[in-house]
Order: sequence, then structure tokens, then C-alpha cells
Amino acid sequence: MTNLAGVPYYILEFGDELVYFTPYTITLFLLALTFTIFVLISRPERQVDIAFGGDAYTTKVISVSEMRFRRFMAIACGLASMGAMVTGDIFNFTLFTAMVGITNVGIVAAVKSPHVQNAAYQYGLVALSATVPLFGGAAVYAAATGSLSMIELAKGSLPAVPFVAKAFLVLGVIGEGMAPFYAAKAEMFRAPGAPYVIMCSLSSLLIFLRVMEVVMLG
Amino acid sequence: MWGQYSYGLLVVLAGGVIAFLALATEGDDLHKLLLLGLVEIPSLGVIALLGTDLAEALILPGLTVGIAEQLALSQIYCTKEKILQNPVKGLSIEVIAKADAPLIISIFLVGYGLILSGFTGGGVAGLGLVFFFMSRGYREDLNLLEMASGISWALWIFSFFVFMFLPQYWFVALIGAAVGIVLKVTTKMSLVGTMWGNDND
Repeated sequence: MTNLAGVPYYILEFGDELVYFTPYTITLFLLALTFTIFVLISRPERQVDIAFGGDAYTTKVISVSEMRFRRFMAIACGLASMGAMVTGDIFNFTLFTAMVGITNVGIVAAVKSPHVQNAAYQYGLVALSATVPLFGGAAVYAAATGSLSMIELAKGSLPAVPFVAKAFLVLGVIGEGMAPFYAAKAEMFRAPGAPYVIMCSLSSLLIFLRVMEVVMLG
Repeated sequence: MWGQYSYGLLVVLAGGVIAFLALATEGDDLHKLLLLGLVEIPSLGVIALLGTDLAEALILPGLTVGIAEQLALSQIYCTKEKILQNPVKGLSIEVIAKADAPLIISIFLVGYGLILSGFTGGGVAGLGLVFFFMSRGYREDLNLLEMASGISWALWIFSFFVFMFLPQYWFVALIGAAVGIVLKVTTKMSLVGTMWGNDND
């Protein structure tokens, strides 16, 4: 197991569907866990609008139902990120990534503001179309090597993973929230409610760090 | 085998490229959403090309995630375009509502679904029930169906525990899982068909 980022401390086996903790994945997992707990206990910020040419300012009010929904979505996003960090199965990784994409849309979808809704819709279209290379990449992994297990791939005894499979996987992850599609997400960040919106960018960062490890296998 | 797989992959990817081209040139938001449904199909095609049991096991979660994203996006579209207040009505076609044809077709679909059993059978039988409810404008207390769905789901999970801990009783577990999933999918699908947009929740 030379290609895994460190020797796994612990491998939780469900047959082929395993979960493993290396120093790298455990760091990312703890980061996701910490931010999920922050989201769980924090209260939403109240965005301030300042009127130009005067001293007047207003704070936006966030209703309780909206706050509940967005907090739920942010926690779901954190759970999906945690799953993507520790899973040892390529297909499960893609499913968790797709779920992060859905929950990212969900975090801002409750905001009743036309431009936020519009940005969320456009980002959702990109995220949905990104599932094509994402799942396609995982399927080519299985077709070329006969295994989806990252531990097996790291052993180096399987056939080499074709470049196209890795390219598909990275393309899919990019579509779920990386640059250059990040521009669409930036517009979503105009939604009020700081701790929840930060979960969007944090989950993207974590998924990106994790896919770097995945493509270096096999 | 590799030759066939490569050609198949080429055809599916060509289909994907065509769908993406259509998506790129489309301007209307709703049409984009519909085209994305088409774009999803090549991704399932790539998985299906594996041609093994694994492919079957992978298609299901892939399909579920795709449908979940589409439902989420269509909800956002409704909010965005402010068309949430339009109540959804059943098929109010008078000729169908009086005739026996929906009943016969539904009985056929449910019967065929029960014979098929498993997830596919549940889908077919559920479709029959959806068709029946929609054509009759059926109004009923849905709590009973929800309860049936929940109990059959529990039966399904219980069968899995039998598989894991008491493998010698695999046949009972197999029958339990098959019956559980057929009932669960049937009731779930008929709920999907009747619950949305109604106030009798």
C-alpha cells in the first residue's frame, strides 16, 4: 500500500465496501466533523444592508423555518462530506460527491431572493450534468480494473487505471463545485446566513483534496 | 469482449456529446432541465456497459441520485418562476373515469408485477395503482398505504438481518425480502402518484 496517503490506522470492512482511516483522510474527516458541529450549534448571521449616502442600515430577518431547513441541509452536506472523506470505494465516493452537490443547492434554495434562486438553479444544472462524467468515470474504473476498492487499487496488482477514467472523475468533481463553475456558486453566496453558506465552499474544498488522493491510486 | 465494450462506450459517449450540445445551445430554463434528463441516460449507459451484477447494483443508486437532483431542481424552478400555487389535479377525463378499462389494465399490471416480484415487480405494480388512482380521481385515507409501506420496508430489512446472522434460513429471507420490496415499491409509487398537490394529507 504505497500509493495510499499513509498507512491506514484502521480499516472497517464490509466486504468490498470498506472504510479506511489514514492520517490524510482522518484529518479531512475531522475537519468536516468540526465544521458540521459548528453548523449544528451556531446561529445564522443577519446580513446588513447599508444605504449609500446616509447612515441608515437594515439587517435582514431570517425566519425560523428557513433557518431550520438550511441548517438541516448544511448538516446533511457535512455528513456527505465526511462519508466522501473516509470511504474506500470509488463508486461510494462519487455518490457522496453527488450528494454534496444536491445539498449545496439545498443550502441556498430556501432563500426567497430571485437572484439567489436563479444562481442556485444554474449551479444545479451544472452539478446534475457533472454526474455523467462522475458515474461514467467510476464505471470505467470498474470495467478496466475489475475493482472499485481503493485498497485493492493501491496494491498495484490490478491492471492500470486508464487516464480517461481519472479525467472523468476529476471532471465530475470539478462540475460539482470547483473552479471554473465556482463562478455560479459565488452568486449563491450572496444569500444571507454565514455558517451554512460556508459549508458549500468547505465541502467543495474537502472533496477536491480527497479526489487528488483517489486519482493517484492505481 | 474489450472490442465490444470499447464500441459500446464510443456510442454512449457520442450520445452524451450530442445531448450536451443540445444543452449548450438551449436557452430556456425548463427545456434545459428536461434535456438534463436525457443527459443522465448516457451516464447510466456507461455503467450498464459493465454487463455484470455489479452494474445492476450501481445503476440503482446512480438513478436515485439523478432523480433526487432533478426533483430538487424542479422545485427550485417552481419557486423561481413563482408557480407554486397551481394545484395538481388528477386526469379528469370523464370517459376513462366511467369505463372499466383502467381497472382491467391496473389489475393486469398489478398481477404481472406480483409475478415479477422484487424491485422491478414493485415498479410495475405501482404503475398500475398510479394509473388506477389517477384515472378514477381516487380519494382515500393514505395513512394506511404509508403504514403498509413502512411495515414492508421493515420486513425487507429484517430479511437482510436473517441473511447476515442466520444464513441457513436463506430461503425464508429471500421470500421475505422479495415480498417486502414488492409491497414497499408498490405502495411508495402509488403514494407518489396520489399524494402530491392534494390537501387530504
